[in-house]
Amino acid sequence: MSDLDIWLTIGLLAVATAFSRTTFIMLGSRVAIPPRIQEALRYAPACALAAITVPDLLLNNGHLQLGPDNFKLVAGIAAIAFYLVKRDMMLMILFGMLLFTGLRLWA
Amino acid sequence: MSAAPTPQRVPDEDPAIFREGLKMGMPTLFGIAAWGLVVGVAMVKTHLTVAQAMGMTLLVFAGSAQLASLPLIALGAPVWVIFATALAVNLRFVIFSALLAPHFAHLRWYKRFWLGYVAGDLTVALFLQRFPNDGPAPGKVSYLKGLLFPNWTAWQVGSVTGIFLGSQIPSDWGLGFAGTLAIVCVTIPLITNRATLCGVVVAGIISVLGFHWPYKLGLLAAVIGGMLMAMAVTEVLQRGKARGIAPDSLLRTSGVDAGQARRRRQEATRRKEHE
Repeated sequence: MSDLDIWLTIGLLAVATAFSRTTFIMLGSRVAIPPRIQEALRYAPACALAAITVPDLLLNNGHLQLGPDNFKLVAGIAAIAFYLVKRDMMLMILFGMLLFTGLRLWA
Repeated sequence: MSAAPTPQRVPDEDPAIFREGLKMGMPTLFGIAAWGLVVGVAMVKTHLTVAQAMGMTLLVFAGSAQLASLPLIALGAPVWVIFATALAVNLRFVIFSALLAPHFAHLRWYKRFWLGYVAGDLTVALFLQRFPNDGPAPGKVSYLKGLLFPNWTAWQVGSVTGIFLGSQIPSDWGLGFAGTLAIVCVTIPLITNRATLCGVVVAGIISVLGFHWPYKLGLLAAVIGGMLMAMAVTEVLQRGKARGIAPDSLLRTSGVDAGQARRRRQEATRRKEHE
């Protein structure tokens, strides 16, 4: 891709970001969303976050890897259990990364 | 939503609530920086110049869209295909924008634009957790800013580090995993009832099944599928509640967010002291 094409792409990507993130907030109170749909929308953040993380945990290069040889999965599950007990995000991330790195280097 | 907009007499800014936002967002910063690092490295590996990489990270500011578009740029895909893919990946932000809108409808348009533009997944999720109701409440803008500033900074620091050190960092270090862990960490307190749990599980399944779909539609399908599932479970459980079955809440088992629990305990003790 030429330099110009890349800048054009970056510009369009910025438009994509601006459009998706600002449309409704710019419309403000001019758009009334029916209550049923509002109810459904409240579930969106959790679902979106799951949609982003689950593939990273379960897939390796696009292939499903559910066994103990999937270090991200093992470390991820252990980190979740750790968080449910300790309720500390910084420690959870540290714990998960240490476990993941340890598995990667020595398992 | 209310029929007529009431004049906003509740203060938007509140230094204490700003600090609350900072505190809430603080633990996620390392994960966000790690994710920024991964994207920075990816941009360099796609042979973007430093200027282009900086432009992308400042103007696009959307990790998933950037990561989705970079392989397409490398393959020389047509620009409209890349745009369509980025749009599909970012469509979940349209929903987030709709969720944020009622809280800030009273602000000037340019303030709404900037606040919305830089609000990513974690910021929106954390904001909505603190302010689940649309009604006027003090310090909403402060809380959002408290979440936004460090989020933006951590991302930029991570990205710039990735751009300049890109070639030096071996990809098998898997540093992006820290970002995943941070997001998982924020997701857990959001799962307060069985409906949300079912929605999250379904979203996860669909995102895996649809991983190879074109235009990254798997992500969008996962969000919509998860929402539909959660609504369906809510319906079923409401009908069950009418027949006297137990209410749908995981609050005792999964645990309430520590901050909310602390606030409730403080309010309870304050109430007791007044009796």
